[in-house]
Amino acid sequence: MDILWQYQFRIILLGDSTVGKSSLLKRFTDGVYSDVADPTVGVDFYARSLDIEPGVKIKLQLWDTAGQERFRSITTSYYRNSVGGLLVFDLTNRKSFEHVREWHREVSEHILPHHMVYILVGHKSDLTRERKVLRDEAEQLAAELGVRYVETSAKCNSNVERAFELLARDIYELMKMGEISARDGWDGVKSGLTAKVLYPAEEEREREKSCNC
Amino acid sequence: MAKIHIQGNGYKSGDEKSLRSTMESLVGEESDSLGSDLELNGVADKYGFIGGSQQGTVDTAENIPPEVLRQREVKWLEMLNSWDKWMSKKHKKVKLRCQKGIPPSLRGRAWLYLSGGKVKREQNQGKFQEAIQLDGEILFSLLKRVSPVAHRHLKKHKIDPVLYMTEWFMCAFSRTLPWASVLRVWDIFFCEGVKVIFRVGLVLLKCMLGSQEKLKACPGQYETMERLRAIESCYMQEGFLIKEILELQLSERDVEKEHLAQLQSWKESHGELHCKSPPRMHGARAIMAAEPPSRQDLQQKPTIVIDPAQINNSEKKEKDKSKAEKKRNKKDSTLDTPEDQPVPDQSQPMHRETFTLQASNQSLSSTEQDTYL
Repeated sequence: MDILWQYQFRIILLGDSTVGKSSLLKRFTDGVYSDVADPTVGVDFYARSLDIEPGVKIKLQLWDTAGQERFRSITTSYYRNSVGGLLVFDLTNRKSFEHVREWHREVSEHILPHHMVYILVGHKSDLTRERKVLRDEAEQLAAELGVRYVETSAKCNSNVERAFELLARDIYELMKMGEISARDGWDGVKSGLTAKVLYPAEEEREREKSCNC
Repeated sequence: MAKIHIQGNGYKSGDEKSLRSTMESLVGEESDSLGSDLELNGVADKYGFIGGSQQGTVDTAENIPPEVLRQREVKWLEMLNSWDKWMSKKHKKVKLRCQKGIPPSLRGRAWLYLSGGKVKREQNQGKFQEAIQLDGEILFSLLKRVSPVAHRHLKKHKIDPVLYMTEWFMCAFSRTLPWASVLRVWDIFFCEGVKVIFRVGLVLLKCMLGSQEKLKACPGQYETMERLRAIESCYMQEGFLIKEILELQLSERDVEKEHLAQLQSWKESHGELHCKSPPRMHGARAIMAAEPPSRQDLQQKPTIVIDPAQINNSEKKEKDKSKAEKKRNKKDSTLDTPEDQPVPDQSQPMHRETFTLQASNQSLSSTEQDTYL
């Protein structure tokens, strides 16, 4: 049977309501954007796979959480089972930027002693005239949190792909280094059925296979 | 359609879907402001709603220039910031601004303030989060009897009920089912209460996960959740769904019994609840019993004049029919009362036809006209 992916990463989107988490996800997974959006109620899911390097397909399982405070107690239980998180804020909404720290703290505390790989995403970069957060400030915050920063627009399809890919790569690298690994009872990282051996060996095998064909 | 962008927790929204979105912020709060009196222009659509375009028809009555909308938004934000003062000192202004139309981007929030839902929510912190989770446990437990196969599958894959039923319950299926089915479900829901919501949930779970055959399509946790998110339309179709929920044996007592059982196990695993968990709302009769109204309270306004001849005509025929006769006679009524939706003017023969059509149809079927009856 064909394997569809070697690894699966569960990634969660975090941030205030209306910053555009669902739009970002819809753009990334379905390639569409709509001006009309309904708020997310509870939790929503998306999936897409990425070729992280030749022969290695990663399935990203993307969990979209409602940003509203009142869903917080429902969504917190899903932090733990995620390996990566996009901390999303709205470049035209100062408050949402200020809340990033809180989101980061809340999630990090919740998953102790484990860690999550984050990326900071300044969204709605197309609304240049209404921008309320400078790139410098955002980069500074990212540096403080020790995460990458990227500015995106789901509307203009700017950097959306890149944001997810950067995060997936960071996770993949950490996995290669042995900092992150699949473990029982944790859904953050899952291995596909055939990915038994370590990476270089696996790659070789893949090559051999294709030679034999 | 003007695109609006607002700071804070206002969301982007076009006019079209604003009711739906707004409803999301109201369901779960005790609010009854969903009446159509908020929108005064336009005639009733085929579902008896005024002004709403929930079926996706794009016929915006007014096209408000973006600059005007922006101004209104600013004014509304100011108003919401000192709501108490505005309500006590400048109520007239509030009223006027409501009449002009609340900007779509702030409508949800405004309704929350106007209806008192905002205060209720603040005063009951944590209540609705617990309530939805408890409802999830109740639903899941009830599923054991309705579809052991589905129950076992969900349990095996550790799929927490809140993952699939939050939107179902918080929006009373308004974001799940096709609109025609939403209204039919709500018809029964208003009359019979919350057990109807549980029934719909159980029917959908059974239909999607109720046999080994069906489970083949979703071997894992994620696939299962995906399957539940994309319910096949045949199961949500009005006729099928209504028949199923009416056939499902689930009484108020069953729900309450399970409620108590789940409350107990909740306390064991999570400790005491933040708020009391009162019995679930069990429909119109329970509502009336809780607060017995006077005859006068119940009087229909505006009064519907019934032509006695017509009553005799349709006497002993289907109850539905006489209702329709009443509606048909109500021509120039004002729109003050949300419960009396005006019916688009249709000629008498047309209605006669509708009756025969209705009579020959099984009672659960959907025709374009039967929502009037």
